[in-house]
Formats: sequence, C-alpha cells, structure tokens
Amino acid sequence: MRPFKLLDPRSLDEACQMLDRYGEDVKLMSGGTAILILLRQRVFSKPYFINLKAVPGLDGIRDEPGTGLRIGALATLRAVETSPIVRQRAPLITETFRLVANVRVRNSGTLGGNLSHGDYRLDPPAPLLVLGAKAVAVSSRGRNTYELKEFFRGLFETALQPDEILTEVVVPDAPPKAGTAYFKYTSLSETDWPCLGVAALVTPSDGGGTCGELRVAVTSVAERPMLLEHLGPLARGKRLTERLLEELGDAAAERVDPIADARGSEWYKKEMVRVFVRRAVREAARRAGLAAG
Amino acid sequence: MADGRKQEFAVVGKSVPRVDGPPKVTGTPIYTVDMERPGMLHAAILRSTVPHGRIRRVDKSRAEQAEGVVLVVTGEDLKTMPGIDPYFGPAFRDQAILAIDKVRYIGDPIAAVVATRRELAYEALDLIDVEYEELPPVLDPVEAARPGSPLVHEQLRPAKAFADLAEIEPGKATNVCYHFKLRRGDVEQGFAQSAHVFEDWYYSPPAQHMMMEPHAALAWVDSDGVLTVITGSQSPSYVKGSLGAIFGLPQNKVRVMVPLVGGAYGGKLYDKLEPLASLLTFMARRPVKIQLTREEVFITITKHGVVSHVRTGVSQDGKILARKVEVYWDTGAYADIAPRVVHKSGYTSAGAYRVPNIWIDSYCVYTNKPPAGAFRGFGVPQVVWALESQMDMIAEKLGRDPLQFRLENVLLEGDLFATGTPVHSAGLKESLEAVAREIKWEPGVRKAVKPGTKSGVARAKGVACGIKAVITPSISGAIVVMNNDASVNVLTSTVEMGQGSDTALSQIAAEELGVRLQDVRVMHPDTAVTPYDTITAGSRSTYHMGNAIRLAAQEVKRQLFETASDRLEVDPDQLVARDGRIFVAEAPTRGLPIPEVFQARFGARGATLQGQAVFKTYAAPMDHETGQSEKVTEYWFPGATAAEVEVDLETGKVRVVKLVEACDVGRAINPHHCEQQIIGSALISLGQTLFEQMILENGELLNPTLLDYKVLTLKDVPESAVPIVIEVPHKDGPFGAKGVGETGTLSVSAAIGNAVYRATGVRVKELPITPEKVLRGLRAGQ
Repeated sequence: MRPFKLLDPRSLDEACQMLDRYGEDVKLMSGGTAILILLRQRVFSKPYFINLKAVPGLDGIRDEPGTGLRIGALATLRAVETSPIVRQRAPLITETFRLVANVRVRNSGTLGGNLSHGDYRLDPPAPLLVLGAKAVAVSSRGRNTYELKEFFRGLFETALQPDEILTEVVVPDAPPKAGTAYFKYTSLSETDWPCLGVAALVTPSDGGGTCGELRVAVTSVAERPMLLEHLGPLARGKRLTERLLEELGDAAAERVDPIADARGSEWYKKEMVRVFVRRAVREAARRAGLAAG
Repeated sequence: MADGRKQEFAVVGKSVPRVDGPPKVTGTPIYTVDMERPGMLHAAILRSTVPHGRIRRVDKSRAEQAEGVVLVVTGEDLKTMPGIDPYFGPAFRDQAILAIDKVRYIGDPIAAVVATRRELAYEALDLIDVEYEELPPVLDPVEAARPGSPLVHEQLRPAKAFADLAEIEPGKATNVCYHFKLRRGDVEQGFAQSAHVFEDWYYSPPAQHMMMEPHAALAWVDSDGVLTVITGSQSPSYVKGSLGAIFGLPQNKVRVMVPLVGGAYGGKLYDKLEPLASLLTFMARRPVKIQLTREEVFITITKHGVVSHVRTGVSQDGKILARKVEVYWDTGAYADIAPRVVHKSGYTSAGAYRVPNIWIDSYCVYTNKPPAGAFRGFGVPQVVWALESQMDMIAEKLGRDPLQFRLENVLLEGDLFATGTPVHSAGLKESLEAVAREIKWEPGVRKAVKPGTKSGVARAKGVACGIKAVITPSISGAIVVMNNDASVNVLTSTVEMGQGSDTALSQIAAEELGVRLQDVRVMHPDTAVTPYDTITAGSRSTYHMGNAIRLAAQEVKRQLFETASDRLEVDPDQLVARDGRIFVAEAPTRGLPIPEVFQARFGARGATLQGQAVFKTYAAPMDHETGQSEKVTEYWFPGATAAEVEVDLETGKVRVVKLVEACDVGRAINPHHCEQQIIGSALISLGQTLFEQMILENGELLNPTLLDYKVLTLKDVPESAVPIVIEVPHKDGPFGAKGVGETGTLSVSAAIGNAVYRATGVRVKELPITPEKVLRGLRAGQ
C-alpha cells in the first residue's frame, strides 16, 4: 500500500473545500471496505484521502412524512439493516442489506460509499432502484439531486461529479399494498459476490387479482445496476401466470448484457436473469397477496 | 477395532483436548509472521510480468537511490557471487534464488529489494526496469509433453536430497521432467477379453492451499557465524541441508527454527523463502525478513492441475480385467516435489481395486505457469476423481449398484496392489460399508429426472473411495528428556501446523513413560538441537515420529527401571511405569514415584535422563520399467465418502445436504482429533469440488485474491458432515496407529460428482462442478 495522508474535515463545507483544493490528488473515503482492497493491491492510490467519517451528522436515518426515508450517506450498511424505521417503511431494504457480504463488512461499509463506488457487483442498488430512491449530493457549487436510475452510468462510473459528495439517499414510500422481494444468487461460495441480484416490487390492481404496478431491478450482472422499466407495462392489468412470469424473465434477459466471469458465462447469466426475475416477481406477488400461476 | 484393548491405555485412545488449544484461542503464540529482530530489514520481491522470456536487462539504479532502500539484488548479481550455488529444489536443482537469464512464469522472482520498512521495499519495486525478450509460452501440459515443444528448462540437475527420489533421472530435451511407468499383466489382452471398455478424459484444476499464515522467513547471521533462519516450514531438516548446499556451509553452521505454523497443507515444504532471506542477510549484514502477501502466495506454490485419460475393461459379470491410465501433471515452471507427487500418485492410479492387467504412464510436465507441488492428498485426489467417476459409469452400464460393484472389486487384506505389493491394514471395505450405513444407501441403479422436468430440485446420493500410500523410505529421529520431577521434554523436528502433532505425540510419550499428558512438552524444531525428520507431511508424523518417540521413551524407561530394580530388588522386566510411578506389575504397591528414582540415581536437583531413537522405514526398490516392488510402502491409508446432494434444476446449483467421510486410521491415538482431521480434509475437498480453481489465461492468474478465488466458508458446510473413524490396527504402528491427515481428501469430489449424476443424469468430468456445467448438461440432455 502506498503511503497517503488522511484528511479529517470537521464539516461538509470543509470537505467540499478539500475536494476543490486537492482536485485530482484526493479521493473520498468513508467505510474504506472497497478502497482499502484496491490500495492494498496497489492498483489504485492517491496522496490524499478525505475521511468523511470525521464529518458529524451524515449518518442519520429518519422517516419524513410525505418524503420518505432519509438515510445519511455515512450510515453503515449494518445500521440500515438493523434500523427499525427502515424495517417498517421499506422491508425490502432490510431484506437485501442483511445479505451483503458479512457482518464485519456491513459494520464498516456505508451506504454512500457503496453507491458512489459504482461497482456492479453490489446488492444495495437493486432495492433502492425499485423503490425509486434519489441520491443527494453537495459541492461548493450547491446541491444536486439524482434519480438513482440515472445515477449508475457504467463500470465503476456514476453521475457524481469529481467535486461532489453524496450526502443522503431519499427513499419514497412504496405504493400501498406493494409486495417486495430480493433474490441474491451466488454461483460459487455462499459468501461470494452475487452472480446476480434481482429486486421486485408488485402491487395488486385496484380490482385485485391482477398486477398493478411492477418494478424490477437487476444488479451484479451487467456493467451497472439497472431498473428494467420495460417490464412494468408487460404485466400491468394482467394475472401473473407462470406463462407471464416466463415472458417477463425473457424480456429481462433480452435487455441485460452480462459480464462474463468466473461466476458464469454470458449465456449462463442471461439464463439466471430469466430464472431469478421469475422467482423475485413470483415472491413479490405472493407477498402482495396475489396468487401467482 | 478392539475396544477391550483400548482399556489397557491410560492416555492413548482418549479424546484429550489439544495441548496447544488454550494458547491458540487466547492468541498468545508467536508465529513466524510475528517475529522481529533488533535491526531487522524487510525484503520485497520483483516478479516477472511475462510467462516465458529471456532477461535482456535489469536496471536497479533508480531503486537503489529510493528512500529507505539498503540494497537491491538481481539474478545477474548471483552469477558472480563466490561460493554460492544459487539453485535449489528437492527433486531437481532447477530454481534459482532469483531468476538467472530466463523467467519461466508470471510471478517468477527477478530481483529483491531490502529496505528499512516493508512498505518502502515494495514501493521501490516500481523503480526497477526490466527488459525481456519474450519466448513462446508453454501452457498446456499435454502439448508440452510432445516432442518439439518449446522447452521451459534446457537442462536439469537431480538434487539427490531424498532416498525415495534417488532413482529419478531427468529426460533429455523434453518438458517431461519425470515419467512414471507401471506395467502389470497384459493390458491389451485384458481389453480384448473385456465385455465393455470405457474410455474418458478427466480434469482437475490447479488450486490453492490457502493456509492462514502466508509464507514468511526471518534470517540472520549470529555472532559466531551461524546462519539462523526462523521459518514457517514443514521441512526444517531439509531446509538446513539445502541452505548448506547453496551457501557451502557446514551443517552445524546452519540453524533452522520453526515455531507454530499457521497452516500449511503441503504448501510450505522444501525451499520457499529461506534461500532468498539467507542470501539477503549475508549481503545486508543485518537480519532480513520476507513475508509474502496473499497475492504472492497464490503464485508461489499450487496444487497440480491434472489431465487424465482412463481406459477400463470389465467382464459382463463385473470384474475389472484391465486398466490403462495416462496422467499429465501440470507442474508449472519449477518441479518442486512434483516427481514424488507423480510417483506416489502414479502407482495408485489404477485405484483401490483388484485389477490383473494394468498399464500406467504418469507424466510430470513443465509449463510456464506457477509451480505446483505437494497438496494435502499428494495428487491422489486428482486421480481418484477420474477413476471413481468412471467406476460409477461402469456400474451403470452393467446395471449394477455402484456401492456393491465397488465392494466386490475392492482390495482386501493380502490382495496384491498394482505394484505387486500385498496390502495390509487397508480398511477399504470397512470404510465403504460405514459411509453407506451412515448415509442410508439405497441399493439400485440411478433414478433419473423425468425428461422435460425443468424446475424443482433433484436429490440423490453418491459414493466413492480411494487409497493412498505413505512416503517410503523415510526417517524420524527423536530425543526424549525426562526431568527429575517426571516432567518430559520431547525433542523432535515435527512441525505443529494445526494438525495436532503436539497433542498426539504428547499422548504417545505420556503413555510409554507412564506420566500424565500435562507432564509432556513437545519442543518445536530447532535443527541445532532437534534430530532429523524427513518432513511433516504425507500423514507420516504420528506413525514415524510416534514410533521414534516411543523407542526413545523406552530407552528412558529402561534407565528408570535399572535404578528402580536395584531399589525394589526385582528384575527390571517385572516393572511397569504408570501414573508417575515405577512399580512391580504383580504387586502395584511395591514401587517408587519417578522423582524418587531420580533421587536414587543422581541425588541432584535438575538431573535428566535421555533416550534417543531413529525410526527408519524401508521400501524394496521399484523396477524402473514395470513399477513392481515387494514392498512399496510402509502403510496404506484408505478412505470412503458418501454424499447426498440437491440440485436446483433451474440453476444447476449443487447443494451438498450430507457428507460422510470414513477413514482407516489404524488406531486412533486421539479419536476426536482424528474426526476433526477427517472432516477438515473432506471440507477442503468439498470447496475444490464445487467452486475452487485458479483461472489462468496465457499464464496469467486471473483470480489472485480471495475476492475472486472462492474458498469454502462456514455457510457452505453441509447441514450434516459426519466423520467416521475406522480402526484396522497396523502391526508396526505406535499402538497400531497410522496417519489420517490426508485420507479425507481422496474421494470427496468423485462422490459428489456421482451423486450429481444420479440426481440429474449430468456427468461432469472437469472440476469444479459449477452450476453452469450442470445446467449445460441438463439442457443438453433435454
């Protein structure tokens, strides 16, 4: 690991100034779970890091009526996972976060770090995408809000500008009666990065019996986590039969361009998109009180 | 399994807790990685970035000027150093301390930087410029074995380090550095008489030992000129000899010490960092420590990737008539101990069955990849994977139950092994029967998944068995020192690396001397003090060192009896030692506590009695052309596995629901520890069966971190994992004991592969059995 200097800002303003001052020579660090590995492997280095943990007040989790959940970027994955408010307002987040890596990583890694890293192999983006989350960033230029579905741009690439700091994630309330589910699939060891992850949200139609809204996001399979918006119209107003689930799986696989690696070839991962979109939607529908099939 | 006889023993046969348990769980032991010396410097290694090439130029001038750097040394420097023979290796002296003229794999050490801090040493590596003339890389072991392939090594020099490798001669102008041959009966006639002949290729990928403590060595030269090395090595005696040969030092001027070792599994044998650490300390005139990163461990030593072709002929009534096996061992850039792996696994390549006609060719092949060496199981798991997968294919074709088919053919006491050696204490049948009972085996042929079934879960059971032989000949020396308070120090070069040798050897010494377990302390290797031992590997320590300690303890006891017999006025052979006393067997109240015997003999506080012994085993030399020998090994260790799996038919993912492993240990010195060894080795194999593999492309390792090279974790352990200790006592073993460190690795992969086939009809022949391979098989079958 190359030597570096850790800067401790006492406020968000100071952190923004540090970003402006050091420019290319500095990078933000929060939980450090991803960046320390890259430093240790000597594939990445910077002379300076800004220790965001030094900034107070960025790790709050609260429910704001009318807006939704407001989760500070410095909240650890474990804090989000175990938060009673999160469990009550967005059980899908709780369900997903408890599957991330292991408890040591979750105790250190933060929500903001997780999203800003832009690594395609992460679980948290999937539930946040189906819940329509927004990412709030600040810089010395001001404040900026990104729709999460537009936040992930490519491999390790996000919409964040170099001078911006992700400060908060806002998660709107799920539609009434929504059923949600997250399926993480590991093709190697249980503790491996996911081969893919699928989050689904289903609401029953007003009349009941058929599907109202359907939202599906896939992660860990292509260059970036994706909200598959073309699936919703295919299911709206229809009964979620096995045949429709199969069509949804196929439609999802068509839109996904998998990265082949040790966890599976492109062919295999496409097949798994089919399987796990079916499973996730089926389970979300069940939880929404809709009988599948 | 004589339970009645066990009662004779006070300490042996009891599941006493590990003697190193409390210190280890409280974090107090000091491992090599923790060691420091005043004035210590740190070294880092620059490694080749090309798989095969000539070194045109290495420019170290910028690195020499870097902050904290004390010295930089290259292979070129080695050429001109007086009095140094810079090559090492246990089979061939084929590896230079730092690459000279040529690099042979991505990761081959080219230069070393010594600096005041470890980070500075690594930092300075970037300042060394290397120019290569790239050569065509040799990557496929089967291709590499063909005449005309580019050569990895232009010439070879046998090391003559071990008696069992004395016969090994290098081939000329070929990458095949060793070719093992076995010929028995007339294999072609056997095939001609066979009703069915089966022929298949199998593959087992290179894998990692994944010991927790990485390789590390700390070397310095004492004020009296003794080269001293602390290292986490499984073979301190060998390292002493090897350093002597490299640096031209008398053996009493080399001192190798091994503290507790944080896991090894075969990955810390022979020369690893010790020659380089020694060279650097001579040059820097200060203590030098080298410790590898995990990424470096990946490219330092591996488990052999193996390609094998198995041809088997059987009669209609299920007798195996002929077997021809061709095995290619991808040994990478340096042979390390591979010729011994190929030899040992070579002669067991026809399996654990009665086969009258056998033909084996086993090739040890250099390639431009990270070196492969010993790995728990020593090559046998790779050949068992092939043989035992095919056994099920044969059984199915014959319409036979795979368990029954094995039981009818398996080697029994007195049967002749492929080498012509009679088999003794080989509880194969017992092991197979035990796992079948535990898994509730249902006889019959496979029930296939109904065609067209695309979802749900298929469930089935599979079995397999294997046999391995212990390295023979080999040598273990021990010194037993008894203090006048009846406490005991055992001096041995056996390395405690987590396998429990401190405990098992303490039990043997305590039993023989009639003292309590807590009275015995097994000292760790220090070659200035502890006697020669071949290696701590190959499941040999309990038997060999156990025997040496037992003999040495008997010598101590003889002296105790000598004095006690004077005082008690009885013949020494009427005496026994038990519970810290020497007493008359027929009249137990007539006796003396051991301290009183010492008082009578010496009358001095602090007096000691010593006994020493060397235990050696012998093998009858094998015929070069046929591999036949009256006695090829000192003992066999057989094992069997049964597995029950569930396969998700939509994803192909295999979940092992239950894993049962039975191993014949001869006699369990410590039954609980035997169970732990059995299940521990079975679980290592489970990971290698389902997902572990080193993925190489053009000689480059694509998954050199624990993020991408997946090992088994607790979450992957089956709900039920059952070890079974089988005891078929060995006539010459200490209290009947053999070894158990590797037996559980032999047949796990094949048992799981067979279970997957019985569940799905998909036969995977290339490990690991990934979900994708199973799903492709399922799709192909639909």
